[in-house]
Amino acid sequence: MDEGGLTMVPMGVSSKLRVGIGLRAPHVAEVLATRPAIGWLEVHAENYMGAGAPLAALERLRADYPLSVHGVGLSLGSAEALNNRHLSRLQRLITRLEPAFVSEHLSWSIAGGIYLNHLLPLPYTAETLAIVAQHVMRTQEVLQCRLLIENPSSYLRFAHSVIPEPEFLGELVRRTGCGLLCDVNNIYVSSHNLEGDPVAYLEALPARAVGEIHLAGHAVNDADGQTILIDDHGAPVSDAVWALYGHALARFGPVPTLIEWDTNIPELAVLCAEAHTAERFFQRAEEAGYAGVA
Amino acid sequence: MPALRELQSAFLRAMFGPDEPELLETIVGDGLLPAARLQIYRHHVMTSLTDVLQATFPVICRLVDERFFRYAADAYIRQYPPEVPCLFEYGAHFPAFLAAFPPCRHLEYLADVARLEWALNTALHAEVRMPLDPAELGGLAPYDMAQLTFQFDPSVTLLDSPWPIDQIWRANQADEEVHVPIDLNAGGVSLEIRRWEDDVVFHRLDPAIYTFRTTLEAGHALALAAEAALAAGQEFDCVAALHELLTDGVIIGFTL
Repeated sequence: MDEGGLTMVPMGVSSKLRVGIGLRAPHVAEVLATRPAIGWLEVHAENYMGAGAPLAALERLRADYPLSVHGVGLSLGSAEALNNRHLSRLQRLITRLEPAFVSEHLSWSIAGGIYLNHLLPLPYTAETLAIVAQHVMRTQEVLQCRLLIENPSSYLRFAHSVIPEPEFLGELVRRTGCGLLCDVNNIYVSSHNLEGDPVAYLEALPARAVGEIHLAGHAVNDADGQTILIDDHGAPVSDAVWALYGHALARFGPVPTLIEWDTNIPELAVLCAEAHTAERFFQRAEEAGYAGVA
Repeated sequence: MPALRELQSAFLRAMFGPDEPELLETIVGDGLLPAARLQIYRHHVMTSLTDVLQATFPVICRLVDERFFRYAADAYIRQYPPEVPCLFEYGAHFPAFLAAFPPCRHLEYLADVARLEWALNTALHAEVRMPLDPAELGGLAPYDMAQLTFQFDPSVTLLDSPWPIDQIWRANQADEEVHVPIDLNAGGVSLEIRRWEDDVVFHRLDPAIYTFRTTLEAGHALALAAEAALAAGQEFDCVAALHELLTDGVIIGFTL
């Protein structure tokens, strides 16, 4: 693959991936011991940037499962320069793990050198687009691979935001050659919180750029009498999000799909059962011959 | 319309401070007050960082109870917000912060228990290195031996305390059901914390051995470490102590 003048690492295995789970610390020992029938594993890059026991365990799992490295700390949307030390650590991790996918977020988390540990919202403007595109290109250059960029879950929008989010992502793809990680739960949560239409959002994404799908549960909270959905990855995938996943598969084709669970983490078996539900959707999409649309 | 850099600076201030009218004006309400929307982010930033500290310092949390822990963590996060996105590296200043934090300053053992928890966290994430093969020192002349300095495994922390912090730690494990009373005046401990295979462990060291190892770890030569250890304990046996050091697997290299 050669996009944007970059020599990309070939990702042959990625097209064969089906449904995976986000691997979290409480499940590592059990996955190592029982090797459950799961298509692939995704880990948060920042948890494996030390060189101790967590990384050693992951290296043992590498032989049996394709891996995906999902960054949460690069802060591609920061107005300030990327943290070079962090980028080098990510690069070393990717060299060591040779993952099928590398992904990050359309968000920011660093200002004035302070890391806020949250995927914070961006105003979608020409200025932001130029900054994010530059940071994505620099990251792809350093990592020598194509990044998948994930749509965030949002609780606010800025008055001076002028580009709709799916179009912003489409333009980012056009400028940088990156792919997209379509988080279906995030689309549902943001659409609810910001009064948008989740199906229209899916329709507006550039389908061929979508290389991975995320699914997770959310919480339903009350804020001053209004319902706000919180993307806490702390519950089973909701029925509405499963339905939206069906739409996503019809539009994008059977794209490798991941189940995430980060708070109130259940038994591994519960997570695997969610993955098997996703697998049934995935199979139906294959049988229906969904190939994704341009 | 603020430039992105100004917007992010204002947002950062708002995460640790009060709402600023200029920032609120940039946020669309959509049926909710802009301040309520901003509060969702502020709440997540503070609670998620508190959760990180709680995961690294679970024994401290049990000792002071969760409500007080979250109160102390809130103050810590404001004073020392993270500067790196790898949060297993966050919390290095927490022991010193607890020692100086007025509401718990009277719990004098607390900071040392926190140092023990931080050392365990450091050991877990430290780079895996191969221990030195003692045979590599085989042919050295006695004079050369005296000048040796050693490189310790990066997972090792040597920690002493006037409090029985190892007993306090063990009595406050989540699965610990038997409550053994701890005598705070039982005397101090000298501990070595390190990785052991896939686990992290700690154990007590004899005061002379502790002096021997801390002197070596500080980069001093074997002769000086032996002298310091003898001063700490008349019965110190340098040959045995050196043998034990090398066979323990805590040394990864040496310099002549």
